[in-house]
Order: sequence, then C-alpha cells, then structure tokens
Amino acid sequence: MMEEKYRVCDIMVCAMARLIPDGSKVFHGVSSHMPMIALLLAKALHAPGAVHLNIPGGTDPDPVRLKKYTSAGPELLERATAYFPLMEVFDLAMRGELDVAFLSGIQFDSRGNVNASVIGDYKKPKVRMPGGAGSAVLIPTAKRAILWRTKHDKRTFVNQVDFVTTRGNVERIITPLCIFKMEHGEMVLETIHPTSSLEEVEENTGFPIKYSNIAYTPLPTKEELSALKRIDPGDFRNIEF
Amino acid sequence: MSKIMTLQEAAARIHDGDILGLGGNVLHRAPMAMVRELVRQNKRDLKLVKTAGAMDVDMLCFGGCVSSVDAGFISYESEYSLAGHYRKAVESGTVKGNEHACYTVISALRAASYGVGFMPVKGLVISDLIDANDYFMRVEDPFTKEPVTVVKAIRPDVAVIHVQEADEEGNARITGPLFEDVLFSRAAKRIILTAENIVHGSAFTGSSKKADIPHFLVEAVVRVPKGAAPCSCPGSYDIDGKNLKEFKGLKDLGGLNAYLKAFEKSDYKG
Repeated sequence: MMEEKYRVCDIMVCAMARLIPDGSKVFHGVSSHMPMIALLLAKALHAPGAVHLNIPGGTDPDPVRLKKYTSAGPELLERATAYFPLMEVFDLAMRGELDVAFLSGIQFDSRGNVNASVIGDYKKPKVRMPGGAGSAVLIPTAKRAILWRTKHDKRTFVNQVDFVTTRGNVERIITPLCIFKMEHGEMVLETIHPTSSLEEVEENTGFPIKYSNIAYTPLPTKEELSALKRIDPGDFRNIEF
Repeated sequence: MSKIMTLQEAAARIHDGDILGLGGNVLHRAPMAMVRELVRQNKRDLKLVKTAGAMDVDMLCFGGCVSSVDAGFISYESEYSLAGHYRKAVESGTVKGNEHACYTVISALRAASYGVGFMPVKGLVISDLIDANDYFMRVEDPFTKEPVTVVKAIRPDVAVIHVQEADEEGNARITGPLFEDVLFSRAAKRIILTAENIVHGSAFTGSSKKADIPHFLVEAVVRVPKGAAPCSCPGSYDIDGKNLKEFKGLKDLGGLNAYLKAFEKSDYKG
C-alpha cells in the first residue's frame, strides 16, 4: 500500500489538524512546528473557531511569516487579537479549561508514561535531555494531551521508560509510522500510515503491538495540501526529519 | 537619580554563588551581552533560573560559571537543536540539572513575589521529578485533606532582563512578548536592566503604554544596543543564525574567549 508521493510530515500534520475540534482551546510550546502548523491548518479549514494559544501569548495569531528556528517567537504575538501569555495558559489548564495540549517526549511506553528528562541516573545522567517543558503539569491537566514524535524506533517506544517525567491524559501519539491511541490505560495501534506497514510498526516498537482491527491513516486531501502550502511555504513542518 | 553604568560595573554586582534569573525565553530577548560579560569576568557557582533557556544557559555552562540550572527546558529549539555544553556539564556532574515543569518555575517565582515560602502546583501529580528533587514535596491540603504537590519558592538574588527601552532611573518598557520578565522583576531581590535604547522618562508619562518594570525595583541600567544578539530582540532585530552556528561550533575555552573578544566593542559601546 505504498503511496510514494505522500510525505510523512504532511500525513502527520494533517492527522494532528483533524484532531482539533472547532471551538477548542489548543496550546503548543517550544520546538513545536508540526502542531503549530497543524493548528493553523485546522483553523483554516474545519475549525476556524479553535483558539490558538502559545508561549509568546498571542491569542489566535495570524502570522504572516512563520520562523524556521522557533515556535515561540514574537511573530505569534504581532498579529494576535489578545495577550494571554504562557503563565496564564498554564493557569487555564490547572483550572481544567485547556482542551488540547500538543507535547512531545523522548521515550514512551505502552502505559502512557512519558520521559523527556534523563536516561540513567537523574543526578548524574547518561543523557541529559532538554526537559519536559510544560509536560509534567499539562499532560495531567489538559483535557486531551496529544503527543507527537518524529522518531519511531525501539529506543523511543520502549517497554518501560527510564524516568517518568509525567503520565496523565495522553490521548494519542502520532509517529512517522502510525497513530497510537490510549484505551483503558494501554496504548493500542489506531491507524497505520499508508506509507508504512504493520510489520514496520512491530519491528520498530519495543512493546507488543495491540490492535482491534487494521486501519490506515487517511491521506492528506488536496484541500489540506494546498492550505499547507499557503500556511507553511517554507516547509517548516518537515524540519524535524 | 541616574542608575546608568557600564556593562562591566553592572556585571560586577553579580557575585559568585548568586541565584541568577535570566530574562527572555529560548532565543528571544536573552540578556546575551551580560551573559558574555559574566563569562569574561569568570563568575563561578551561579545558580541559574529560567523557564526555557537556550544560548544564555549553554554559554554560561561552557564558561564554567554555573553550579545549577532550574528550568523546564534547555535547548535551542528545532533548527539549532541541543544545548551541548549544558548537557555535557550535567552529564559530567559539574552542573546540577534541576528539572522543573516550566510552570513550577513560574509558581516558585510567584511564591517569592508573594512573599511566601512555597506554592501549590495542581498539575504535578504523577512524576518521578517529585521524589528526585528536594524542591518538590507532596503535602496534604489542610482544607480538603487531598494530596497536593508544592514547589519551594525561588527568590533570585538578582535577575538580568534585556529590554527595548529604559530610562536612566530604571523604568523599562518591553516590546512584544513579556515572557516571565515582569514576574522576575517582582520576585528577585535585585534587578539589572540592559537596554537597546535609553529613553527620556517622558516616553512613559506621555504614553498610554506605561513602563512594565518601575524604577524602584531596579538597581542598575546599562545601555547595550544589540544586547540580546545573536538572539532576537522583538521589534529591533531577529537572530543572527551565522553567529549562532559559529558559537555552536566552538570546541574549547580558547575558542570561546576569542568569540567573546569579538563582541567586546559592541558590548562596551554603551
């Protein structure tokens, strides 16, 4: 079922965009070009009333030109309607009113544990990672935590994470191969991207793959692809690959 | 009373062992001129505080100026990627990496600004960070008897904030995102400003957009055009990617010193 002409970054961004309902309040942080672009895509298509929240504090920015090096820059405030900075986004989540938070991590296990902190001993780690940023408080408090990771291998999807930075309301994890969904405290395979296969997912995942039926992630539509070109002419959605 | 001084004089007011708050966020409005001067002055044992740091934290770790970093995230974001010096310093045990959720840094600063010793943090419930760090504790809410995690207050000895406009008394106005800088100005014991431009006080009295930081919180003001470079300064300049790459390519302290030397003319122009 190989579809050569479709790029994984487009499949992932479109899948993320479709998970954003109209009217929902949605946050992304630093190093988050893919969800930032997914959110702008959702707002351009099916979810014009989704609320875009971000670190610089620009509510519903209409950024003329995204920056390649940052998803936390002043361009997100310049053409926004209101100032609602990071600390207030956190407060919003704490009182239970943030609908969706897009976050990432370095290691994930089948129980929904996320590690963005260290490999090895916390005090003298073998690998010190950048840190979970807001994850440790947002994953438990956002109504839906949607995660993405552009690596899918046995070091990323492990039987047991080295360190639990957090666990909570993880709903889905979008990878270059598939979409995992949390069901009854366990991560199950929801859809496989048409660019991948069940065998590839199984070979690259460190825990046994569970699924109820084999389904494929819908490919980006022409409308989505043309909106993406308009929103992200610099192709920053591909920056993590 | 004018609080204008040179970068060297202001940096001399930051002492070995100080808890140092850094303004800005990742590659935006970081107080880079002051960071460079702290490395030149060979500061030691600084305890850095920031929600999300990048080049500032990385350079101070490179210079051997740091003993701990309290932050939620340290990286240059996707394009310029990992903070190698910070990472190496934590992995070798020379710097203590005190990981926070960004919000727990905010909560710790809020506690300091409210004059209390700790702050409850609702979201931090399931995390190995709670037991791994002595600045988090699980306690019982005295009213509901429910468990709640609290974070210890962080009161920086000094915070350095780079702003677009300040007057000589220390009133300062920030263009674009404030990030956590107004909170820093209320939480820290002392504030040092570096400013792109020194303006007359009437710039604030005659405008509907008042100063974000009032003079009575500020102890020193330094004029440093390009004081955030090679990071961005909203409304003034974007990042200097070439210079960032040059810094990331430096291999040793000799290279760092030559890199810092090349900034002296611009940093001391005040």
